[in-house]
Amino acid sequence: MSVTNLLDNWAAVRHFHPIDDKPHDPYKWAMAIDLDACIGCNACAVACYAENNLPVVGREKFKHGQVMHWMRIERYWDEDGRDYPDQGFQFLPMMCQQCEAAPCETVCPVGATNHTQDGLNSQIYNRCIGSRYCSANCPFKVRYFNWYDYPTTENVWPAEMNYQLNPDVTVRGKGVMEKCTFCVQRLRAAEVTAKGEGRIVREGEVQTACQQSCPTGAISFGNLVDPESRVHKQWQAQQVDLDKDMQEKNQKEGGSDLRGYRILEELRSYPSVMYLERVRESAV
Amino acid sequence: MKDIREDIAWAKINQDVMKSLENPRPLYWVILFFAVLAFGIGIGCEVYQYQMGMGVANLDNPHVWGLYIATFIFWIGMSHSGTLLSAILHLMHADWRKPIYRFAEAMTTFSLMTAGLFVMVHLGRLWQFYYAVPYPNERWVWPNFQSPLLWDAMAIFTYLSSSVLFLFVGMIPDLAIARDNMQSGWRRKLYTLLALGWEGTDRQWRNFRVTYLTIACFLIPLAVSVHSIVASDFGMSQQPGWHVTSFPPYFVAGALYSGCAAIITLFIILRYVFKFEEYMTLPILKKIVRLTFAIAMVWTYLNCVEFASVWYSHDAVSKDLLIQKMTGPYAPFWWAMIFCGSIVPLIFAIKRFQTNIPVLFATSLLLNLGMWLERWMIVSPTFSHGYYPWTWDHDQWPSMIQWGIVFGSFGWFTLLFMVFCKMFPSVSMYEVKEMVYHRSLHLKQNGTVEQGVH
Amino acid sequence: MIDSDSVKNLAGHPFDRRDFLKVLGWGGAAAALSGCGNTSIEDGKETVVSYVEAKDYVIPGVAVYFNSTCAQCDAGCSITGKIREGRVLKLEGNPESPINKGRLCGLGQAAVQHHYNPDRVREPLLRNGDKGEAISWEKAYALINEKLAGVKGEEIALVSGDVSGHQKVLLGNYMDSLGSKNHFVYEAVSPAVVRAANLKFYGVEMPRYRIDKAKVVLSFGADFLGTWVSPVHFAQQYAAFRKGVDGQRGVLIQAESKMTLTGANADRWLAVRPGTEGILALGIINALGVATGDVAELVKDYDKVRVSRETGVEPSNIDKIAAILKLRSPSLVLVGSAAEGYQHGLQNAAAINLLNQVLGNVGKTIEAPVSVPFPQMAPAKGKTAALKDLNDDLAAGKYKVLFNVATNPVFTAPASYKFRDNMAKAGFKVAFAHYLDETALQADLVLPLDSEMEDWGTHVPEYLADTVQINIQQPLMERLHANTRGFGDILLALVKQRRAEEYKAFDDYYGYLRSAVLQNKAALGGAGSDDDTFWNDTLSNGIVKLSGASGALSLKVDVSGLKLPTPKEIDEQYPMNLIPAVTSNLRDGRHTNQPWIQESPDPLTTIVWDSWVEMHPKMALQLGIVEGDIVKVTSKTGSVSAQVYLFPGIHPDAVSIPIGRGHDAMGRYAKGYGVNPFEIMDAVFESATGELAMHETRVNITKTGQRVIVVKDEGPAGGRQMGRKIAARMSTDQVDLSKEV
Ligand SMILES: Nc1nc2c(c(=O)[nH]1)N[C@H]1C(S)=C(S)[C@@H](COP(=O)(O)OP(=O)(O)OC[C@H]3O[C@@H](n4cnc5c(=O)[nH]c(N)nc54)[C@H](O)[C@@H]3O)O[C@H]1N2
Ligand SMILES: Nc1nc2c(c(=O)[nH]1)N[C@H]1C(S)=C(S)[C@@H](COP(=O)(O)OP(=O)(O)OC[C@H]3O[C@@H](n4cnc5c(=O)[nH]c(N)nc54)[C@H](O)[C@@H]3O)O[C@H]1N2
Ligand code: SF4
Ligand code: SF4
Ligand code: SF4
Ligand code: SF4
Ligand code: SF4
Repeated sequence: MSVTNLLDNWAAVRHFHPIDDKPHDPYKWAMAIDLDACIGCNACAVACYAENNLPVVGREKFKHGQVMHWMRIERYWDEDGRDYPDQGFQFLPMMCQQCEAAPCETVCPVGATNHTQDGLNSQIYNRCIGSRYCSANCPFKVRYFNWYDYPTTENVWPAEMNYQLNPDVTVRGKGVMEKCTFCVQRLRAAEVTAKGEGRIVREGEVQTACQQSCPTGAISFGNLVDPESRVHKQWQAQQVDLDKDMQEKNQKEGGSDLRGYRILEELRSYPSVMYLERVRESAV
Repeated sequence: MKDIREDIAWAKINQDVMKSLENPRPLYWVILFFAVLAFGIGIGCEVYQYQMGMGVANLDNPHVWGLYIATFIFWIGMSHSGTLLSAILHLMHADWRKPIYRFAEAMTTFSLMTAGLFVMVHLGRLWQFYYAVPYPNERWVWPNFQSPLLWDAMAIFTYLSSSVLFLFVGMIPDLAIARDNMQSGWRRKLYTLLALGWEGTDRQWRNFRVTYLTIACFLIPLAVSVHSIVASDFGMSQQPGWHVTSFPPYFVAGALYSGCAAIITLFIILRYVFKFEEYMTLPILKKIVRLTFAIAMVWTYLNCVEFASVWYSHDAVSKDLLIQKMTGPYAPFWWAMIFCGSIVPLIFAIKRFQTNIPVLFATSLLLNLGMWLERWMIVSPTFSHGYYPWTWDHDQWPSMIQWGIVFGSFGWFTLLFMVFCKMFPSVSMYEVKEMVYHRSLHLKQNGTVEQGVH
Repeated sequence: MIDSDSVKNLAGHPFDRRDFLKVLGWGGAAAALSGCGNTSIEDGKETVVSYVEAKDYVIPGVAVYFNSTCAQCDAGCSITGKIREGRVLKLEGNPESPINKGRLCGLGQAAVQHHYNPDRVREPLLRNGDKGEAISWEKAYALINEKLAGVKGEEIALVSGDVSGHQKVLLGNYMDSLGSKNHFVYEAVSPAVVRAANLKFYGVEMPRYRIDKAKVVLSFGADFLGTWVSPVHFAQQYAAFRKGVDGQRGVLIQAESKMTLTGANADRWLAVRPGTEGILALGIINALGVATGDVAELVKDYDKVRVSRETGVEPSNIDKIAAILKLRSPSLVLVGSAAEGYQHGLQNAAAINLLNQVLGNVGKTIEAPVSVPFPQMAPAKGKTAALKDLNDDLAAGKYKVLFNVATNPVFTAPASYKFRDNMAKAGFKVAFAHYLDETALQADLVLPLDSEMEDWGTHVPEYLADTVQINIQQPLMERLHANTRGFGDILLALVKQRRAEEYKAFDDYYGYLRSAVLQNKAALGGAGSDDDTFWNDTLSNGIVKLSGASGALSLKVDVSGLKLPTPKEIDEQYPMNLIPAVTSNLRDGRHTNQPWIQESPDPLTTIVWDSWVEMHPKMALQLGIVEGDIVKVTSKTGSVSAQVYLFPGIHPDAVSIPIGRGHDAMGRYAKGYGVNPFEIMDAVFESATGELAMHETRVNITKTGQRVIVVKDEGPAGGRQMGRKIAARMSTDQVDLSKEV
């Protein structure tokens, strides 16, 4: 337990940003969400409840802003003084963006939220002391705190309802921070299986729960460093680079005719979720 | 206007101060009663919150911090003037510090202890607080040294321990006096223990002076750094309204400001309760008031700097937040802060009010209210109106539990402070003697003064 | 030892399903002991249960998957249940189904909360005054027998929701055995008028829509992404449609008075004055200028100026729509519940369907459906007229015994029906129920049903995406409560009371079902394989796919009798139209007791756990109403009070209240949340079909002076992004979709 050890360990935890000496290898999990396909139906959000043991907090607590949905569907429209939202809405599924330089990680006093080697922002429930600094510093506000002890709260998981809980996922107690994990339990299972077979996880072998349920296939998910993956191809075709805070394509005269972008990219948190802009027909 | 009598007998000084350990005015007990009551309410609220979860505070996602953090900063700020001013004035040989520094230092210590409570009260899993302590452990699990919150914890702990040391060391000669003037009993035993065998020998005095000076030198940068670090909790984050370079000096100024205001409040209370009119004189009060006024203007200036830099920057989000503070649901509180923090202290510029006790008492309370509001206006609006419009939150207000704990903290502080002042000499006897000695050298040469005992 | 082969066996076939269920049952009990799940990292209540004696097929920690069918709505999506240690954990879509191709909507996923619901009825209950007294099944059956004794067939009625497959066959047989023809098939929300209009114009009730083949979709209030007919299927078609045929992105135009989820996704959303959808359709035909003969004659008066005046749609928009429909072909015009809910609903729907004929879409994007080779299994389709008929009969005291299953008419009947009172006139009322919902509470005998995850069955969806498919429903785990029974089992027991001989070969419904399927093995595509293999394969697949004959669509256009009324004048006393909204979460309210559904924000308003009165901000301004005001909505029939939500996606002449909340029974998650718009719905009917005209109710709005905070996900910024680039948008002329992956 020398100081050297201490520094080494600490450096290892902190150094999984996409930098040259520590590339993501063999995995970097990432997403692409096509807003033109997303219809705002909420199926993904419900899937997340089912997969990740999210508590239903009830009307009163929802009213007090204490909802726990790791995935929320936002909906926007042009409020430019017109009478009707006659150009349609934009729905936006928003969950943890698994930032590469996650602002939530640096501020956690106990290191309960960290970057993993495969590019996730992980949350260690056991370690969390509930200071909520991470949430304070998350620009997307996608962290959800256990304001109450939901497992023992009346009517959250009353008898029998608890049988639905996914044994692969912890049920969180009061005072702990949580958020979308990219369904890490599924990723780990796939990674371990692949490792046992001496290969890496193949494209399509693992899906997040939200992706799996989405009726329009708006969400794609996969290994960004695998050239065979759809996510890799999408990011590449859209010319979105993980480790840029401003994409080259956007600096061109007249902007870009590509739809890929990341939200609040300029804050340099390097999100792992690329969105594809909603499209609207110009002829009507 | 009467200052300390230059011909006062040293024995009289001892007598007067020692009396404060015995029979304060009845108001003392009234204050103590209300302090205990308030503290009890706070405890009740905390127990309930501990049982139920933080939700009862009516915090929410994403409004995850509220009055606890605001009041935490408030108490840290409050701690600043005592020790810091005492140390600075000590180095500057300002003799008017002498009658008041003891209680000011006690104020520092107890406000730090109160601030510390809020760190705990705020934690979602209070029972795991020690994860934030860098204790050696088999698994090499360390806290995250990158987190300003951790710096915070360390800074506060260092500041608290140094302040306690400063307070204690400075008190040693007086403890010896108390020991020597006490009849037998547990108090005498306590003073004997704490006086560390002080005899007043030359060697003891020499060592004492060096130690005291050293701690004072150490404390000044420490105190400045503490509030700078508290400022880093915000300044180092990415959120609009917080990501401001001027936050450390702004916080330090705010801290000195609220500390000075608190000194005025407590000065007036102690002077009356413990019948210290002889020592806590109006000229001293006037000096503090003038100092407070100067700091108020610095704080006002720094506020303007912040607004101006937001206004002229291209940071639309911060600008939006600033406008929101001025016009949104927090506007009444924000304007109250400006009023209390920048307008009310203008009273201090009027000479005739500089020694008017009722006016000063009321004003000092308003200043502190303003400074408490300042902290709240730093913390909450950013949460309610941050980067991400979808998650804005203008409807949730602190619950009675939050208010109860904040209220309780004032009880806790008052309790500690009042008990201290009755247990220990809150006016430094030996230093007042020094002061009188220096001021009355010419009288002394004539040999007309009673020989004091010390 | 468990090797990988046995894992394959689990996922695949050869073992006895009933044996497996026993194992599952054991596992379920073990799970109950271990309390897995409902423990937290804090409370330290975990109990470790040893699995050293685990039976074959249960590998602790390894999930098994079984296919079945979603019963949350009638779309008939196929599900794959994930089962661990004998408990069903999660439902996923079965990729083999052409309907949902591996996807599932939120409502479908919430079915596990139906199954594990704490408020399920667990014992047969016999009314004793105001209370239900638990009795044995023997006693319950005996009681039914006793009550039926001497009752004539015409004095017996049964009201059910949509029903198909072998349950329908058995149900029919039971009614036969009782000599009753009074089976009322009632669905509160069903496209019955559209079916009638389709029959008139296409020769079939429900053609196959090909959104994916269309370049332009013009939908008149058909919420095909949210609630209409087969939403998961249509959402998938929609995704393909947006990607485009030949790289040209499909264009969606939605015309309706209250924005639906589909409307929210449109490129152009048109706020139509309530009830004038048909006029708009005729106006577009007029603007197209391609109609000849009768049609041209019909639309000649529907010029832009008039149509715009009557519908509120701007003339420029009519031109734009006509232009794009002309330019991009094929297109597809859809007619949904918003257009059919009026007295002239059929005329509305016909006018809109006419547009498809004029545009030549029939046969291109509107295809003939396949016909189901076993008509006795084909779905009986619910109508609201059925409830009207039943109600009239009940009021007249025609029935001595009333059976109720899979529908909740006390909740969904317009208050003016006085259905609750009329139902009381039936001497003996039996409800087959999952919950003590409003209707079950009125029954004399409540028979607790297995959940869809415990029961056997077959289902034939009305809307077949591809070929004919018979969907299998099978238990995903052993029944949770010892005293619930499958619907089929109950029917079998009842029919045996009448025709013991005929059914004596079947111990239970499982046996009946197996034998019924195997009897038709050859027709079901199993010729050549032995019984066990075929049966196990069928269960394993969860779907039987058959090729059915496609009929032809009628191409002849008959506009005789098509006449649209001029829009009604504004009624001074009741100036607004009430639109009872069908939302994708709640549908007709039969699943409101599932907490995921309650907490799943309404996609448009983001409101949870409560009802709201949706109102255009302009109208609200006129009335001095702001968000959160509690208003009283009064119709001729009655009034309800609820919070206001201001929303520009609604015609200013209309207000909308969602259907599905406002339960005063059913369970802890449903009871007491929100209001029920059926309580103020006027009894007005579509003139040709007799269906309830759900959009014809006129109301007025008064403030009560109370105000609340609306509980919703959206923050005070509303739909605004405040200049941050959050949900970005491009227009088609800026973007090059051809380069995309
Ligand atoms: N009778 C019997 N005795 C045994 C064994 C047996 O099978 N039977 N097995 C033996 C073996 S193999 C082992 S490993 C030991 C295990 O013995 P222990 O180490 O005592 O194991 P636990 O009781 O599982 O966990 C100890 C405590 O850690 C707490 N805890 C959980 N997470 C954290 C965290 O992040 N931080 C801190 N500080 N605490 C945490 C838990 O709440 C619990 O109270 O027992 C040994 N003894
Ligand atoms: N829910 C829950 N799960 C846990 C834990 C918990 O606290 N709770 N604790 C975890 C911990 S700390 C541990 S160490 C593991 C223990 O997990 P396991 O290692 O699985 O422990 P056992 O079940 O004690 O032993 C395994 C097998 O070894 C056999 N065995 C005994 N002696 C011998 C021998 O000489 N040779 C051979 N070949 N076999 C032998 C036993 O009969 C038994 O079948 O469980 C972990 N899992
Ligand atoms: S399931 Fe798909 S379409 Fe529905 S809201 Fe989620 S991402 Fe959008
Ligand atoms: S989105 Fe927020 S919670 Fe997620 S990694 Fe980024 S900063 Fe952290
Ligand atoms: S809430 Fe937990 S994860 Fe977040 S900063 Fe605090 S201790 Fe770390
Ligand atoms: S990736 Fe998994 S955890 Fe994240 S939102 Fe989707 S379902 Fe939830
Ligand atoms: S559309 Fe209907 S059948 Fe399909 S998953 Fe949803 S509820 Fe189930």
